[in-house]
Amino acid sequence: MTNTNAIEAHGLTKFYGDFLAVDHISFEVEQGEIFGFLGPNGAGKSTTIRMLTGVSTPTEGTAKIMGFDILKHSVEAKSVMGIVPDISNIYTELSAWENLIFTGKLYGVSKDRREKKAEELLQLFDLYDRWDEKTETFSRGMRRRVCIAMALISDSKVLYLDEPTSGLDVKSVRSIRRLIRELNEDGLTVFLTTHNIEEASQMCDRIAIINRGRIAEIDTPERIRTAMKSNQAVEIAFKEQTKGTREMLEKLSSVTEVQKRGDKLRLITNDSAQTLREILQAIDENGLVPVSLNTLGASMEDAFLWLTGAEMESEIIHRRNRRR
Amino acid sequence: MTQVTIGDRIRRSWAITVKDMKIYYMRPPALMFGILFPVALFFTFTVGRNLSPDRLIPVLSAQTVFWSASTIGPVAIPMERRLRTFERFLSAPISLIAVLWGKMMAGFIFGAGITTLATVIGILWGNQTVSNPAALVLGIGLSSMVYSAMGILFASIPTGSPGEVIVPLNFVRIPLMFVSGMFIPVENMPAAGQIVAALSPLTHTIGLLNLGTGSPSVFGFAANIGALLVWMLVFLYVGQLFHKMIMRRE
Repeated sequence: MTNTNAIEAHGLTKFYGDFLAVDHISFEVEQGEIFGFLGPNGAGKSTTIRMLTGVSTPTEGTAKIMGFDILKHSVEAKSVMGIVPDISNIYTELSAWENLIFTGKLYGVSKDRREKKAEELLQLFDLYDRWDEKTETFSRGMRRRVCIAMALISDSKVLYLDEPTSGLDVKSVRSIRRLIRELNEDGLTVFLTTHNIEEASQMCDRIAIINRGRIAEIDTPERIRTAMKSNQAVEIAFKEQTKGTREMLEKLSSVTEVQKRGDKLRLITNDSAQTLREILQAIDENGLVPVSLNTLGASMEDAFLWLTGAEMESEIIHRRNRRR
Repeated sequence: MTQVTIGDRIRRSWAITVKDMKIYYMRPPALMFGILFPVALFFTFTVGRNLSPDRLIPVLSAQTVFWSASTIGPVAIPMERRLRTFERFLSAPISLIAVLWGKMMAGFIFGAGITTLATVIGILWGNQTVSNPAALVLGIGLSSMVYSAMGILFASIPTGSPGEVIVPLNFVRIPLMFVSGMFIPVENMPAAGQIVAALSPLTHTIGLLNLGTGSPSVFGFAANIGALLVWMLVFLYVGQLFHKMIMRRE
């Protein structure tokens, strides 16, 4: 089993009527990875997770979870995964304990095991003091933690997290991220969908960027960022800045664009070293007084926008018409 | 990987039943359409008509089982769709038919429980003799299964509002009461009416309940049982198909 990928998606496709939500995507997630699935709203993240978890049937393609085909061996595939959807779909009429025990029963966990595990999880997620209270009285962050605990009651091998920290306060976000890291260190494979670039960058071993239903890129966060060589920048602030200052910088041969950012000017370039040389020369020649000077690499946000930003409207029309 | 046995499936299905009993039995739509509505209908059609207990008790029991058993599915499933807790079953290691069976059992217990209570009260109040206990028990038990499965079928309508399931269901439930020998005995109906009555599951419920209280059944015991079994399988099978169709669309 150790050589088996935790998740394998093969040509997953989903149409909603004429609208193509997910377009023949394929990827693999290794066991023990935290794999980020990043994309703008409406890119197809949740649809993909719904197909991978058996909630929605793909129009085409299939997926294997720990070697089990989600369509042909769905019960076996579902036995090894836990799911935390984008909303905390817990039973608010039941207590945290009852939610966990019910989920344990649904996954066929033995009585002794599910009671022991439920107790452990409630303690781990800092919910033990309110174990028998109806969850309708719980805060959003607490409900999220109950939802994650429910996904872990069955000793899952693969955990799907759909926007796990969306809409939560900073304290809850940090606590949930820490828990995810700890679970991953214990060997759990995590499939994390998010539109939070910073979260994906901090948490994930690899990231797939999905846009308009297609995979735009799959790589480590660092490699995706450094691949954006065409988007380096130099940021400079002067003691006194005039319209002529900006015009002078725009004339530098290595600079492709000058953007005003507050009291600073950001110079977009393909070669930051050459730009620095040219700036220093221009400062000398024009008698300017610099206050600060920084070189900036492309951020994950830059990479994300570059990979997902172009011509969205025309693409949506194209996707609507694909089936006709 | 351990194999999921039939016993495992039954246990998981039962977990859904118990959970639904805890959450949905006391919900206002369940109380209204499962208890108040059949009781109100019973009194509307019987008060002032001076009917004997052996005629009244089958009507009381049939109306109660018909309305109560068919209400839990249409209350529970749309609410679970709205809160997205229904997705929990779809992503759990349990087949759709086992999920629907668990939901059907919740409706069955609700319907059979309330109807048994109403029937016992009716029998004691009317000092009625039970001449065929097996027919009475099967009339209540099997009918609870059939109408619970009917509710599950209608609950495949993809909505998050119980009202949007209950209204179309009522378009079927109310006409069925008038073609099933509840108010006009089947033998007094015209030939076309009798054919329609034979196709209605409610006719066969009343037939069994009549046998239970000592009155004749127009189509006979075996035909009543057979028709109810067929309707249960049809409702469950078609319900499962519709739920699968919705999964493909969603």
